[in-house]
Amino acid sequence: MKRILVAGEKIISAPEHRIVLEAKGYQLLLMHDLHSAVSLILEDPPDMLIMEKTFGEDKAPLALLNAVKGCLQKTNIPVILIVDDKQALAGLDWQQYAVDDFLVRPFAPEVLRARIRLAEARMIRVFDNNPLSRLPGNTSILRAIQKAIDSDESHGVCYIDIDNFKPYNDRYGFSQGDDVILMVARIAVNVIDELAREGSFVGHVGGDDFVFIVKEEKVKPVCERILANFEIVRNMFIPAEDLKAGCYVEKDRQGRETVFGLLSLSIAVVMTGAHHFIHYGEVSTLASEVKHFVKKKEGSNYMIDRRSQV
Amino acid sequence: MEDTRQSQFRKALREVKNLPTLPGIIAKLTRMAENPDTTTEQMGKVISKDHILAAKLLKLVNSAFYGFPQKISSLNSAIILLGFNVIKSLIISSSIFELMESQDVELWEHSLGCAVVCSVLANRLGVSDPEEVSTAGLIHDIGKVAIKMELRQEFETLRQMVHDRQIPMIEAEKELLGIDHAEVGGWLAKSWNLPAKLVEPIACHHNPLEAKDEQLCASIIHFSDILIRGLGYGHGDDVWVPPLSKTAWQLLNLTPQDLDEILEEVEEKLWDVKGFSLEIQAELESGMTT
Repeated sequence: MKRILVAGEKIISAPEHRIVLEAKGYQLLLMHDLHSAVSLILEDPPDMLIMEKTFGEDKAPLALLNAVKGCLQKTNIPVILIVDDKQALAGLDWQQYAVDDFLVRPFAPEVLRARIRLAEARMIRVFDNNPLSRLPGNTSILRAIQKAIDSDESHGVCYIDIDNFKPYNDRYGFSQGDDVILMVARIAVNVIDELAREGSFVGHVGGDDFVFIVKEEKVKPVCERILANFEIVRNMFIPAEDLKAGCYVEKDRQGRETVFGLLSLSIAVVMTGAHHFIHYGEVSTLASEVKHFVKKKEGSNYMIDRRSQV
Repeated sequence: MEDTRQSQFRKALREVKNLPTLPGIIAKLTRMAENPDTTTEQMGKVISKDHILAAKLLKLVNSAFYGFPQKISSLNSAIILLGFNVIKSLIISSSIFELMESQDVELWEHSLGCAVVCSVLANRLGVSDPEEVSTAGLIHDIGKVAIKMELRQEFETLRQMVHDRQIPMIEAEKELLGIDHAEVGGWLAKSWNLPAKLVEPIACHHNPLEAKDEQLCASIIHFSDILIRGLGYGHGDDVWVPPLSKTAWQLLNLTPQDLDEILEEVEEKLWDVKGFSLEIQAELESGMTT
Protein backbone atom coordinates (compact mmCIF):
# COMPACT_ATOMS: atom_id res chain seq x y z
CA MET A 1 0.00 0.00 0.00
CA LYS A 2 1.27 3.45 -0.92
CA ARG A 3 1.67 5.78 2.01
CA ILE A 4 1.31 9.46 1.26
CA LEU A 5 2.43 12.15 3.67
CA VAL A 6 0.01 15.04 3.42
CA ALA A 7 1.55 18.19 4.88
CA GLY A 8 -0.88 21.04 5.31
CA GLU A 9 -4.27 21.80 6.76
CA LYS A 10 -6.46 22.17 3.74
CA ILE A 11 -5.24 19.69 1.16
CA ILE A 12 -7.57 16.87 2.02
CA SER A 13 -10.13 18.99 3.79
CA ALA A 14 -12.98 17.89 1.55
CA PRO A 15 -14.08 14.37 2.43
CA GLU A 16 -14.44 13.41 -1.24
CA HIS A 17 -10.67 13.81 -1.71
CA ARG A 18 -10.03 11.44 1.07
CA ILE A 19 -12.56 8.89 -0.02
CA VAL A 20 -11.30 8.80 -3.61
CA LEU A 21 -7.72 8.22 -2.53
CA GLU A 22 -8.41 5.77 0.25
CA ALA A 23 -10.69 3.75 -1.98
CA LYS A 24 -7.74 3.31 -4.32
CA GLY A 25 -5.59 1.91 -1.56
CA TYR A 26 -3.59 4.99 -0.61
CA GLN A 27 -2.90 5.50 3.05
CA LEU A 28 -2.98 9.19 3.95
CA LEU A 29 -0.77 10.42 6.76
CA LEU A 30 -1.99 13.89 7.67
CA MET A 31 0.52 16.13 9.39
CA HIS A 32 -0.03 19.68 10.49
CA ASP A 33 3.36 20.64 11.83
CA LEU A 34 6.95 20.40 10.65
CA HIS A 35 8.13 18.54 13.72
CA SER A 36 5.85 15.53 13.22
CA ALA A 37 6.26 15.53 9.44
CA VAL A 38 10.05 15.35 9.72
CA SER A 39 9.77 12.68 12.45
CA LEU A 40 7.78 10.55 10.05
CA ILE A 41 10.29 10.99 7.25
CA LEU A 42 13.08 10.05 9.61
CA GLU A 43 11.45 7.07 11.26
CA ASP A 44 9.04 5.63 8.75
CA PRO A 45 9.29 7.40 5.40
CA PRO A 46 6.24 7.66 3.17
CA ASP A 47 6.19 6.83 -0.57
CA MET A 48 5.11 10.29 -1.59
CA LEU A 49 4.72 13.80 -0.22
CA ILE A 50 1.91 16.22 -0.99
CA MET A 51 2.66 19.59 0.55
CA GLU A 52 1.02 22.97 0.71
CA LYS A 53 3.25 25.87 -0.21
CA THR A 54 1.94 27.58 2.90
CA PHE A 55 2.67 24.62 5.17
CA GLY A 56 3.76 25.54 8.71
CA GLU A 57 5.93 28.56 9.43
CA ASP A 58 7.83 30.43 6.72
CA LYS A 59 10.78 28.08 6.24
CA ALA A 60 8.92 24.87 7.02
CA PRO A 61 8.18 23.80 3.41
CA LEU A 62 11.86 24.05 2.46
CA ALA A 63 12.96 22.26 5.63
CA LEU A 64 10.53 19.47 4.82
CA LEU A 65 11.79 19.25 1.22
CA ASN A 66 15.31 19.02 2.58
CA ALA A 67 14.34 16.22 4.93
CA VAL A 68 12.78 14.32 2.01
CA LYS A 69 15.85 14.88 -0.13
CA GLY A 70 18.12 13.75 2.68
CA CYS A 71 16.06 10.66 3.38
CA LEU A 72 18.40 7.74 2.97
CA GLN A 73 15.92 4.90 3.08
CA LYS A 74 13.97 6.11 0.11
CA THR A 75 15.49 8.31 -2.49
CA ASN A 76 13.07 9.61 -5.06
CA ILE A 77 10.10 10.32 -2.88
CA PRO A 78 7.95 12.27 -5.38
CA VAL A 79 6.69 15.62 -4.13
CA ILE A 80 3.55 17.42 -5.30
CA LEU A 81 3.29 21.07 -4.30
CA ILE A 82 -0.13 22.62 -3.76
CA VAL A 83 -0.48 26.37 -4.31
CA ASP A 84 -3.40 28.67 -3.72
CA ASP A 85 -3.21 30.92 -6.74
CA LYS A 86 -1.51 30.98 -10.09
CA GLN A 87 0.32 34.18 -9.23
CA ALA A 88 2.41 32.34 -6.66
CA LEU A 89 3.88 30.16 -9.42
CA ALA A 90 5.44 32.94 -11.45
CA GLY A 91 8.18 33.92 -9.05
CA LEU A 92 8.84 30.47 -7.61
CA ASP A 93 12.45 29.31 -7.58
CA TRP A 94 12.16 25.71 -8.79
CA GLN A 95 15.78 24.97 -7.87
CA GLN A 96 14.88 25.67 -4.31
CA TYR A 97 11.46 24.05 -4.51
CA ALA A 98 12.79 20.80 -5.94
CA VAL A 99 9.35 19.25 -6.42
CA ASP A 100 8.09 16.91 -9.12
CA ASP A 101 4.73 18.43 -9.85
CA PHE A 102 2.27 21.06 -8.66
CA LEU A 103 -1.44 21.66 -8.45
CA VAL A 104 -3.32 24.93 -8.21
CA ARG A 105 -6.38 25.04 -6.02
CA PRO A 106 -9.22 24.32 -6.53
CA PHE A 107 -8.88 20.92 -8.13
CA ALA A 108 -11.11 17.88 -8.37
CA PRO A 109 -10.23 14.72 -6.42
CA GLU A 110 -9.81 12.88 -9.74
CA VAL A 111 -7.16 15.38 -10.82
CA LEU A 112 -5.20 14.87 -7.62
CA ARG A 113 -5.41 11.13 -8.08
CA ALA A 114 -4.23 11.37 -11.68
CA ARG A 115 -1.27 13.51 -10.64
CA ILE A 116 -0.32 10.98 -7.99
CA ARG A 117 -0.40 8.15 -10.53
CA LEU A 118 1.56 10.22 -12.99
CA ALA A 119 4.26 10.89 -10.38
CA GLU A 120 4.45 7.15 -9.65
CA ALA A 121 4.77 6.28 -13.30
CA ARG A 122 7.42 8.92 -13.90
CA MET A 123 9.42 7.60 -10.98
CA ILE A 124 9.52 4.11 -12.46
CA ARG A 125 10.55 5.49 -15.85
CA VAL A 126 13.62 7.31 -14.57
CA PHE A 127 14.59 4.53 -12.21
CA ASP A 128 17.84 3.02 -13.27
CA ASN A 129 18.97 3.25 -9.66
CA ASN A 130 20.90 0.48 -8.02
CA PRO A 131 18.49 -1.54 -5.87
CA LEU A 132 20.93 -1.76 -2.96
CA SER A 133 22.37 1.75 -2.70
CA ARG A 134 19.49 3.44 -4.57
CA LEU A 135 22.10 5.53 -6.36
CA PRO A 136 21.76 6.24 -10.10
CA GLY A 137 22.99 3.40 -12.31
CA ASN A 138 24.89 3.15 -15.56
CA THR A 139 22.58 5.06 -17.89
CA SER A 140 22.71 8.07 -15.59
CA ILE A 141 26.46 7.66 -15.01
CA LEU A 142 27.26 7.73 -18.73
CA ARG A 143 25.05 10.74 -19.17
CA ALA A 144 26.73 12.52 -16.24
CA ILE A 145 30.22 11.80 -17.61
CA GLN A 146 29.22 13.11 -21.02
CA LYS A 147 27.83 16.22 -19.38
CA ALA A 148 31.12 16.74 -17.51
CA ILE A 149 33.10 16.37 -20.76
CA ASP A 150 30.87 18.85 -22.56
CA SER A 151 31.03 21.36 -19.73
CA ASP A 152 33.32 24.41 -19.92
CA GLU A 153 34.57 23.76 -16.42
CA SER A 154 37.01 20.98 -15.61
CA HIS A 155 35.57 18.16 -13.53
CA GLY A 156 37.16 15.20 -11.80
CA VAL A 157 35.55 11.90 -12.77
CA CYS A 158 36.41 9.67 -9.80
CA TYR A 159 36.09 5.88 -9.71
CA ILE A 160 35.87 4.30 -6.25
CA ASP A 161 36.74 0.67 -5.80
CA ILE A 162 36.77 -1.35 -2.56
CA ASP A 163 40.05 -3.24 -2.14
CA ASN A 164 39.96 -6.81 -0.85
CA PHE A 165 36.21 -6.89 -1.24
CA LYS A 166 36.04 -10.40 -2.64
CA PRO A 167 37.92 -12.06 0.23
CA TYR A 168 35.76 -10.02 2.65
CA ASN A 169 32.65 -11.43 1.02
CA ASP A 170 34.07 -14.96 1.16
CA ARG A 171 34.94 -14.63 4.80
CA TYR A 172 31.87 -12.89 6.21
CA GLY A 173 29.17 -13.63 3.66
CA PHE A 174 27.28 -11.65 1.03
CA SER A 175 24.97 -9.90 3.41
CA GLN A 176 27.93 -8.35 5.25
CA GLY A 177 29.42 -7.49 1.89
CA ASP A 178 26.24 -5.66 0.95
CA ASP A 179 26.48 -3.67 4.16
CA VAL A 180 29.98 -2.56 3.21
CA ILE A 181 28.77 -1.45 -0.22
CA LEU A 182 25.98 0.51 1.39
CA MET A 183 28.44 2.03 3.84
CA VAL A 184 30.71 3.27 1.05
CA ALA A 185 27.70 4.69 -0.81
CA ARG A 186 26.60 6.63 2.27
CA ILE A 187 30.06 7.97 2.96
CA ALA A 188 30.50 9.19 -0.61
CA VAL A 189 27.04 10.77 -0.83
CA ASN A 190 27.35 12.52 2.53
CA VAL A 191 30.85 13.87 1.90
CA ILE A 192 29.92 15.22 -1.52
CA ASP A 193 26.71 16.65 -0.16
CA GLU A 194 28.67 18.53 2.43
CA LEU A 195 31.81 19.61 0.57
CA ALA A 196 30.76 19.84 -3.06
CA ARG A 197 27.03 19.89 -3.39
CA GLU A 198 26.80 22.02 -6.51
CA GLY A 199 27.22 20.37 -9.88
CA SER A 200 28.22 17.03 -8.41
CA PHE A 201 27.06 13.51 -9.14
CA VAL A 202 27.33 10.12 -7.41
CA GLY A 203 26.45 6.88 -9.16
CA HIS A 204 26.76 3.16 -8.51
CA VAL A 205 28.23 1.18 -11.43
CA GLY A 206 27.43 -2.08 -9.65
CA GLY A 207 29.07 -4.40 -7.15
CA ASP A 208 31.80 -2.54 -5.29
CA ASP A 209 32.32 0.12 -7.99
CA PHE A 210 31.13 3.69 -7.70
CA VAL A 211 31.64 6.85 -9.73
CA PHE A 212 31.43 10.41 -8.54
CA ILE A 213 31.96 13.63 -10.41
CA VAL A 214 32.94 16.90 -8.73
CA LYS A 215 34.46 20.15 -9.93
CA GLU A 216 38.23 19.95 -10.30
CA GLU A 217 39.05 22.09 -7.27
CA LYS A 218 36.90 19.86 -5.05
CA VAL A 219 38.60 16.61 -6.02
CA LYS A 220 41.30 16.66 -3.35
CA PRO A 221 39.20 17.66 -0.34
CA VAL A 222 36.43 15.23 -1.32
CA CYS A 223 38.78 12.27 -1.91
CA GLU A 224 40.66 12.94 1.31
CA ARG A 225 37.51 13.17 3.37
CA ILE A 226 36.01 10.03 1.84
CA LEU A 227 39.15 8.06 2.65
CA ALA A 228 39.38 9.48 6.19
CA ASN A 229 35.72 8.72 6.92
CA PHE A 230 36.10 5.25 5.49
CA GLU A 231 39.00 4.57 7.87
CA ILE A 232 36.79 5.53 10.84
CA VAL A 233 33.68 3.63 9.84
CA ARG A 234 35.40 0.56 8.40
CA ASN A 235 36.21 -0.71 11.89
CA MET A 236 32.51 -1.19 12.62
CA PHE A 237 32.38 -3.77 9.83
CA ILE A 238 35.32 -5.94 10.82
CA PRO A 239 35.29 -8.20 13.90
CA ALA A 240 37.68 -7.15 16.68
CA GLU A 241 40.00 -10.14 16.34
CA ASP A 242 40.61 -9.57 12.61
CA LEU A 243 41.00 -5.87 13.20
CA LYS A 244 43.66 -6.62 15.77
CA ALA A 245 45.51 -8.98 13.45
CA GLY A 246 45.30 -6.42 10.64
CA CYS A 247 44.80 -9.11 8.00
CA TYR A 248 43.33 -12.54 7.45
CA VAL A 249 44.09 -15.70 5.52
CA GLU A 250 41.63 -16.83 2.86
CA LYS A 251 41.84 -18.89 -0.30
CA ASP A 252 42.44 -16.81 -3.43
CA ARG A 253 40.81 -17.35 -6.82
CA GLN A 254 43.12 -20.30 -7.51
CA GLY A 255 42.31 -21.89 -4.16
CA ARG A 256 45.68 -21.11 -2.60
CA GLU A 257 45.84 -19.74 0.91
CA THR A 258 46.75 -16.09 0.76
CA VAL A 259 47.05 -13.28 3.29
CA PHE A 260 44.60 -10.48 2.56
CA GLY A 261 44.62 -6.98 3.99
CA LEU A 262 41.53 -5.53 5.62
CA LEU A 263 39.14 -3.43 3.55
CA SER A 264 40.48 -0.24 2.00
CA LEU A 265 39.42 2.16 -0.77
CA SER A 266 41.08 3.14 -4.02
CA ILE A 267 39.95 6.16 -5.97
CA ALA A 268 41.13 6.73 -9.55
CA VAL A 269 40.59 10.26 -10.84
CA VAL A 270 40.53 11.66 -14.37
CA MET A 271 40.25 15.42 -14.89
CA THR A 272 38.17 16.33 -17.90
CA GLY A 273 39.94 19.69 -18.34
CA ALA A 274 43.34 18.12 -18.98
CA HIS A 275 42.20 16.14 -22.02
CA HIS A 276 40.22 16.60 -25.17
CA PHE A 277 37.66 13.93 -24.54
CA ILE A 278 34.84 13.60 -26.99
CA HIS A 279 33.17 10.45 -25.81
CA TYR A 280 32.58 9.12 -22.28
CA GLY A 281 34.26 5.85 -23.23
CA GLU A 282 37.61 7.63 -23.36
CA VAL A 283 37.25 8.68 -19.73
CA SER A 284 36.65 5.17 -18.48
CA THR A 285 39.55 3.77 -20.51
CA LEU A 286 41.94 6.25 -18.97
CA ALA A 287 40.42 5.71 -15.53
CA SER A 288 41.09 1.99 -15.67
CA GLU A 289 44.78 2.71 -16.31
CA VAL A 290 44.89 4.94 -13.24
CA LYS A 291 42.98 2.37 -11.25
CA HIS A 292 45.59 -0.23 -12.10
CA PHE A 293 48.26 1.92 -10.41
CA VAL A 294 46.28 3.10 -7.41
CA LYS A 295 45.20 -0.45 -6.56
CA LYS A 296 48.83 -1.51 -6.32
CA LYS A 297 49.44 0.84 -3.42
CA GLU A 298 48.82 -0.46 0.04
CA GLY A 299 45.87 0.82 2.11
CA SER A 300 43.42 3.55 1.07
CA ASN A 301 44.59 5.96 -1.63
CA TYR A 302 43.46 8.21 -4.40
CA MET A 303 45.38 9.00 -7.56
CA ILE A 304 44.84 11.64 -10.21
CA ASP A 305 45.92 10.70 -13.75
CA ARG A 306 49.39 12.00 -14.48
CA ARG A 307 48.55 14.16 -17.45
CA SER A 308 46.04 16.05 -15.32
CA GLN A 309 48.69 17.05 -12.84
CA VAL A 310 50.91 19.31 -14.97
CA MET B 1 -1.83 -8.81 40.34
CA GLU B 2 1.70 -7.60 40.87
CA ASP B 3 2.72 -9.25 37.62
CA THR B 4 0.08 -7.49 35.56
CA ARG B 5 1.20 -4.13 36.92
CA GLN B 6 4.77 -4.94 36.05
CA SER B 7 3.85 -6.02 32.57
CA GLN B 8 1.94 -2.75 32.17
CA PHE B 9 5.06 -0.82 33.11
CA ARG B 10 7.08 -2.84 30.69
CA LYS B 11 4.59 -2.26 27.96
CA ALA B 12 4.51 1.49 28.57
CA LEU B 13 8.30 1.69 28.62
CA ARG B 14 8.67 -0.35 25.47
CA GLU B 15 6.47 2.07 23.62
CA VAL B 16 8.54 5.08 24.55
CA LYS B 17 8.82 7.24 21.46
CA ASN B 18 10.38 10.64 21.63
CA LEU B 19 12.62 11.27 24.62
CA PRO B 20 13.01 14.98 25.24
CA THR B 21 16.32 16.86 25.08
CA LEU B 22 17.52 19.94 26.93
CA PRO B 23 16.21 23.06 25.13
CA GLY B 24 19.64 24.75 25.28
CA ILE B 25 21.21 21.99 23.22
CA ILE B 26 18.46 22.04 20.61
CA ALA B 27 18.70 25.85 20.42
CA LYS B 28 22.44 25.64 19.85
CA LEU B 29 22.12 22.90 17.22
CA THR B 30 19.29 24.67 15.41
CA ARG B 31 21.42 27.78 15.16
CA MET B 32 24.36 25.72 13.93
CA ALA B 33 22.22 23.98 11.31
CA GLU B 34 21.09 27.32 9.91
CA ASN B 35 24.66 28.48 9.42
CA PRO B 36 25.92 27.31 6.02
CA ASP B 37 29.52 27.12 7.29
CA THR B 38 28.74 24.55 9.99
CA THR B 39 30.35 21.19 9.35
CA THR B 40 28.93 17.78 10.13
CA GLU B 41 31.85 17.29 12.46
CA GLN B 42 30.97 20.36 14.52
CA MET B 43 27.36 19.20 14.84
CA GLY B 44 28.64 15.77 15.78
CA LYS B 45 30.71 17.19 18.59
CA VAL B 46 27.67 18.80 20.18
CA ILE B 47 25.46 15.75 19.67
CA SER B 48 28.12 13.58 21.30
CA LYS B 49 27.68 15.66 24.43
CA ASP B 50 24.02 14.82 24.85
CA HIS B 51 22.86 11.41 26.06
CA ILE B 52 19.42 11.65 24.46
CA LEU B 53 20.53 12.81 21.00
CA ALA B 54 23.39 10.31 21.05
CA ALA B 55 20.92 7.52 21.77
CA LYS B 56 18.62 8.74 18.98
CA LEU B 57 21.45 8.92 16.51
CA LEU B 58 22.46 5.35 17.30
CA LYS B 59 18.85 4.22 17.10
CA LEU B 60 18.53 5.77 13.66
CA VAL B 61 21.74 4.41 12.17
CA ASN B 62 21.06 0.94 13.55
CA SER B 63 17.45 0.83 12.37
CA ALA B 64 16.63 -1.71 9.68
CA PHE B 65 15.67 1.20 7.43
CA TYR B 66 19.11 2.68 7.34
CA GLY B 67 20.63 -0.69 6.69
CA PHE B 68 23.05 -1.22 9.56
CA PRO B 69 21.17 -3.05 12.33
CA GLN B 70 23.22 -3.91 15.43
CA LYS B 71 26.36 -2.73 13.80
CA ILE B 72 27.23 0.86 14.64
CA SER B 73 28.47 1.53 18.17
CA SER B 74 30.38 4.73 17.49
CA LEU B 75 28.86 8.18 17.30
CA ASN B 76 31.47 9.38 14.83
CA SER B 77 30.61 6.56 12.48
CA ALA B 78 26.89 7.18 12.93
CA ILE B 79 27.37 10.82 11.98
CA ILE B 80 29.47 9.96 8.91
CA LEU B 81 26.90 7.43 7.72
CA LEU B 82 23.80 9.54 8.34
CA GLY B 83 25.13 12.82 6.98
CA PHE B 84 24.25 16.45 7.52
CA ASN B 85 20.69 16.38 6.16
CA VAL B 86 19.58 13.51 8.36
CA ILE B 87 21.19 15.11 11.41
CA LYS B 88 19.29 18.30 10.64
CA SER B 89 16.07 16.31 10.40
CA LEU B 90 16.90 14.64 13.70
CA ILE B 91 17.19 18.04 15.35
CA ILE B 92 13.94 19.32 13.84
CA SER B 93 12.12 16.20 14.97
CA SER B 94 13.53 16.27 18.50
CA SER B 95 11.27 17.29 21.30
CA ILE B 96 12.42 19.30 24.29
CA PHE B 97 11.46 19.17 27.93
CA GLU B 98 8.22 21.10 28.29
CA LEU B 99 8.99 21.78 31.87
CA MET B 100 12.65 21.58 32.56
CA GLU B 101 13.74 20.71 36.02
CA SER B 102 17.19 21.11 37.52
CA GLN B 103 17.26 17.35 37.86
CA ASP B 104 17.18 16.92 34.05
CA VAL B 105 20.32 19.02 33.86
CA GLU B 106 21.87 17.03 36.69
CA LEU B 107 21.27 13.74 34.89
CA TRP B 108 22.64 15.21 31.68
CA GLU B 109 25.80 16.35 33.49
CA HIS B 110 26.11 13.00 35.19
CA SER B 111 25.87 11.19 31.85
CA LEU B 112 28.40 13.44 30.20
CA GLY B 113 30.75 13.20 33.18
CA CYS B 114 30.45 9.44 33.18
CA ALA B 115 31.39 9.36 29.49
CA VAL B 116 34.49 11.44 30.25
CA VAL B 117 35.63 9.03 32.97
CA CYS B 118 34.86 6.05 30.71
CA SER B 119 37.01 7.49 27.97
CA VAL B 120 39.94 8.12 30.34
CA LEU B 121 39.68 4.59 31.76
CA ALA B 122 39.19 2.90 28.39
CA ASN B 123 42.27 4.58 26.95
CA ARG B 124 44.30 3.74 30.00
CA LEU B 125 43.24 0.10 30.03
CA GLY B 126 43.96 -0.16 26.32
CA VAL B 127 40.56 -1.50 25.28
CA SER B 128 40.22 -2.03 21.54
CA ASP B 129 37.57 0.63 20.97
CA PRO B 130 37.60 3.38 23.63
CA GLU B 131 34.96 5.45 21.84
CA GLU B 132 32.48 2.59 22.16
CA VAL B 133 33.01 2.48 25.94
CA SER B 134 32.53 6.22 26.34
CA THR B 135 29.39 6.06 24.17
CA ALA B 136 28.00 3.33 26.42
CA GLY B 137 28.91 5.54 29.39
CA LEU B 138 27.10 8.51 27.86
CA ILE B 139 23.81 6.66 27.40
CA HIS B 140 24.02 4.31 30.40
CA ASP B 141 21.16 6.02 32.28
CA ILE B 142 18.79 6.34 29.32
CA GLY B 143 16.38 4.07 31.21
CA LYS B 144 15.96 6.80 33.82
CA VAL B 145 14.72 9.26 31.23
CA ALA B 146 12.28 6.69 29.88
CA ILE B 147 10.88 5.96 33.34
CA LYS B 148 10.46 9.64 34.05
CA MET B 149 8.72 10.35 30.74
CA GLU B 150 6.55 7.28 30.39
CA LEU B 151 5.62 6.55 34.01
CA ARG B 152 5.11 10.05 35.28
CA GLN B 153 2.96 9.18 38.28
CA GLU B 154 5.17 6.33 39.36
CA PHE B 155 8.19 8.56 38.95
CA GLU B 156 6.73 11.03 41.47
CA THR B 157 6.17 8.15 43.88
CA LEU B 158 9.75 6.99 43.35
CA ARG B 159 11.04 10.45 44.18
CA GLN B 160 8.91 10.52 47.27
CA MET B 161 10.24 7.14 48.35
CA VAL B 162 13.84 8.30 47.86
CA HIS B 163 13.14 11.45 49.82
CA ASP B 164 11.10 9.99 52.67
CA ARG B 165 12.93 6.76 53.24
CA GLN B 166 16.39 7.90 52.19
CA ILE B 167 16.91 4.94 49.90
CA PRO B 168 18.79 4.92 46.58
CA MET B 169 16.68 5.43 43.46
CA ILE B 170 17.51 2.00 42.13
CA GLU B 171 16.10 0.36 45.30
CA ALA B 172 12.90 2.37 44.94
CA GLU B 173 12.62 1.35 41.29
CA LYS B 174 12.99 -2.32 42.10
CA GLU B 175 10.47 -2.10 44.90
CA LEU B 176 7.80 -0.13 43.07
CA LEU B 177 8.26 -1.20 39.46
CA GLY B 178 9.89 -4.59 39.89
CA ILE B 179 12.56 -3.48 37.40
CA ASP B 180 15.32 -0.90 37.50
CA HIS B 181 16.56 1.76 35.09
CA ALA B 182 19.55 -0.34 34.00
CA GLU B 183 17.28 -3.14 32.83
CA VAL B 184 14.94 -0.63 31.15
CA GLY B 185 17.90 1.01 29.40
CA GLY B 186 19.08 -2.41 28.28
CA TRP B 187 15.79 -3.29 26.61
CA LEU B 188 15.44 0.09 25.02
CA ALA B 189 18.92 -0.24 23.56
CA LYS B 190 18.04 -3.72 22.39
CA SER B 191 14.71 -2.73 20.89
CA TRP B 192 16.50 0.08 19.06
CA ASN B 193 18.82 -2.49 17.50
CA LEU B 194 21.94 -1.08 19.13
CA PRO B 195 24.92 -3.46 18.99
CA ALA B 196 25.20 -5.99 21.84
CA LYS B 197 28.45 -4.27 22.77
CA LEU B 198 26.38 -1.32 23.97
CA VAL B 199 23.28 -3.15 25.20
CA GLU B 200 25.02 -5.34 27.75
CA PRO B 201 27.08 -2.67 29.49
CA ILE B 202 23.98 -0.45 29.81
CA ALA B 203 21.87 -3.29 31.20
CA CYS B 204 24.61 -4.40 33.62
CA HIS B 205 26.11 -1.14 34.79
CA HIS B 206 24.99 -1.71 38.37
CA ASN B 207 25.93 -5.35 38.32
CA PRO B 208 28.75 -5.90 35.84
CA LEU B 209 29.06 -9.56 36.78
CA GLU B 210 25.84 -10.26 34.93
CA ALA B 211 27.49 -9.23 31.68
CA LYS B 212 28.41 -12.26 29.60
CA ASP B 213 30.49 -10.85 26.77
CA GLU B 214 31.21 -7.29 27.77
CA GLN B 215 32.28 -7.60 31.36
CA LEU B 216 35.20 -5.22 31.04
CA CYS B 217 33.14 -2.51 29.38
CA ALA B 218 30.35 -2.98 31.94
CA SER B 219 32.92 -2.74 34.74
CA ILE B 220 34.39 0.46 33.32
CA ILE B 221 30.94 2.06 33.20
CA HIS B 222 30.11 0.74 36.64
CA PHE B 223 33.23 2.30 38.13
CA SER B 224 32.94 5.53 36.09
CA ASP B 225 29.35 5.96 37.30
CA ILE B 226 30.58 5.65 40.88
CA LEU B 227 33.61 7.88 40.38
CA ILE B 228 31.68 10.73 38.79
CA ARG B 229 29.01 10.53 41.49
CA GLY B 230 31.81 10.62 44.04
CA LEU B 231 33.26 13.72 42.39
CA GLY B 232 29.85 15.35 42.73
CA TYR B 233 29.46 16.29 39.07
CA GLY B 234 25.78 15.90 38.24
CA HIS B 235 23.62 13.23 39.82
CA GLY B 236 20.84 10.80 39.07
CA ASP B 237 17.84 11.43 41.30
CA ASP B 238 19.50 10.58 44.58
CA VAL B 239 22.60 11.82 46.34
CA TRP B 240 24.28 8.52 47.10
CA VAL B 241 27.23 6.89 45.47
CA PRO B 242 26.25 3.38 44.30
CA PRO B 243 28.11 0.43 45.87
CA LEU B 244 31.23 -0.79 44.09
CA SER B 245 31.28 -4.36 42.83
CA LYS B 246 34.39 -6.03 44.17
CA THR B 247 34.84 -8.28 41.17
CA ALA B 248 34.53 -5.34 38.79
CA TRP B 249 37.15 -3.51 40.79
CA GLN B 250 39.49 -6.51 40.60
CA LEU B 251 38.89 -6.80 36.88
CA LEU B 252 39.94 -3.18 36.36
CA ASN B 253 43.09 -3.89 38.37
CA LEU B 254 43.89 -0.27 39.23
CA THR B 255 46.51 0.78 41.76
CA PRO B 256 46.19 3.84 44.02
CA GLN B 257 48.85 5.45 41.85
CA ASP B 258 46.68 4.78 38.75
CA LEU B 259 43.70 6.31 40.49
CA ASP B 260 45.58 9.51 41.27
CA GLU B 261 46.55 9.88 37.66
CA ILE B 262 43.05 9.04 36.43
CA LEU B 263 41.52 11.62 38.74
CA GLU B 264 43.91 14.26 37.53
CA GLU B 265 43.10 13.51 33.91
CA VAL B 266 39.36 13.44 34.59
CA GLU B 267 39.45 16.78 36.40
CA GLU B 268 41.25 18.32 33.48
CA LYS B 269 38.75 17.00 30.94
CA LEU B 270 35.82 18.02 33.10
CA TRP B 271 36.82 21.66 32.66
CA ASP B 272 35.94 21.42 29.03
CA VAL B 273 32.63 19.75 29.85
CA LYS B 274 31.78 22.32 32.50
CA GLY B 275 32.45 25.09 30.01
CA PHE B 276 30.06 23.46 27.57
CA SER B 277 27.43 23.11 30.27
CA LEU B 278 27.64 26.83 31.04
CA GLU B 279 27.38 27.61 27.35
CA ILE B 280 24.24 25.50 27.00
CA GLN B 281 22.61 27.18 29.98
CA ALA B 282 23.49 30.60 28.60
CA GLU B 283 21.99 29.50 25.28
CA LEU B 284 18.79 28.65 27.06
CA GLU B 285 18.59 32.00 28.82
CA SER B 286 19.29 34.00 25.65
CA GLY B 287 16.70 31.85 23.85
CA MET B 288 14.12 32.74 26.48
CA THR B 289 14.72 36.46 26.29
CA THR B 290 14.49 36.66 22.49
